Amino acid sequence: MRLTAILSMAAKAAFPKDYRYGTSRPWTIAAKRLNPPGKKRRKMFIEPIAYEDWSVFKGDTVEILSGKDKGKQGKVAQVFRHRNWVILDGLNTHFRYIGKTADYRGTYIASEAPLLIRDISLVDPTDRKPTEVEWRFTEEGEKVRVSLRTGRIVPKPVFQRRDGIVPQQWKDGPKDTSPEETLEKTYTPSLKTLEEEVMEKLGIEEPRRNRKTYWY
Amino acid sequence: MGVLNALRRGIVRGADRMAEFTSKRGSRTHYKGRGAQPTGVLTSSRKFVPIQAMIPQFVVPDLEGFRLKPYVSYRTPVGTEPAVTPEGLFSEAVAQQIQKDFEEGSFDKEQLEKYGFEPTQEGKLFKLYPKNFI
Repeated sequence: MRLTAILSMAAKAAFPKDYRYGTSRPWTIAAKRLNPPGKKRRKMFIEPIAYEDWSVFKGDTVEILSGKDKGKQGKVAQVFRHRNWVILDGLNTHFRYIGKTADYRGTYIASEAPLLIRDISLVDPTDRKPTEVEWRFTEEGEKVRVSLRTGRIVPKPVFQRRDGIVPQQWKDGPKDTSPEETLEKTYTPSLKTLEEEVMEKLGIEEPRRNRKTYWY
Repeated sequence: MGVLNALRRGIVRGADRMAEFTSKRGSRTHYKGRGAQPTGVLTSSRKFVPIQAMIPQFVVPDLEGFRLKPYVSYRTPVGTEPAVTPEGLFSEAVAQQIQKDFEEGSFDKEQLEKYGFEPTQEGKLFKLYPKNFI
């Protein structure tokens, strides 16, 4: 009872309500080291931002308003909504050693620190200066971000897949169905199941029926 | 011993009584299968006689001129067709026929079988409920 109960409890309440999220993903060893199951930390107060009002996405160009790299513009590499964090490529860095062994001191690399949404501002694409952004609807009904200073639309960054595939430039392999063949409508709606249709087509007759079974 | 320590000792040392008792546990003489469907009958002389009707066979129609392949290209646009719902299937397969008959005046509430209505699943090979096929 004990082991399975504990395993099910561990699987269900995976992250308690007051779990302090960090920059590592919660299932990695580094995060488990920082937040072992019984640990309780002081409550972290984060500004609540509604899902519809979130304006910064991965791939956006933003400018830093305060901190070490104040005034610099960079591309957003990662967004953490639960802590209102944003990690930019190569900005707001500190240095550390990685891959240290007993005799090797490790590689000295620059690692980025997260920035709060408050210290970040989206950049207007036309004049490349930081602006306040609001969500508004276009005439077609699309929800877009509009910069309040100039009134121009800030387009959403193009979503890039993790595996690097650009769907429009994909070359079909030998086992790929082409888009035209996939979108062909050959389905005629009928109330028969697939098995009944196949039997009809192949002319299979099955007059035998299953014997009635009972279980108690 | 405190309560938490006792709990921890129980967790670490206690056996897991709720685990599934599979064929991998138990003694050498313990025989248990893993839930495969039988394909024959064991006779009184302990000989296994396979029955052809119990062995599953794949029924595959002729795939001549079949152009769909295992994978779909990444270039296909997503979400072109709405999901198939029972209401949608009814309106495509049956509703028009019913409407035509109603306008002609030959719609009869007692004779719904001609539109595909099945009052019971008795006597059918592939029953919809309880579902006896996969």
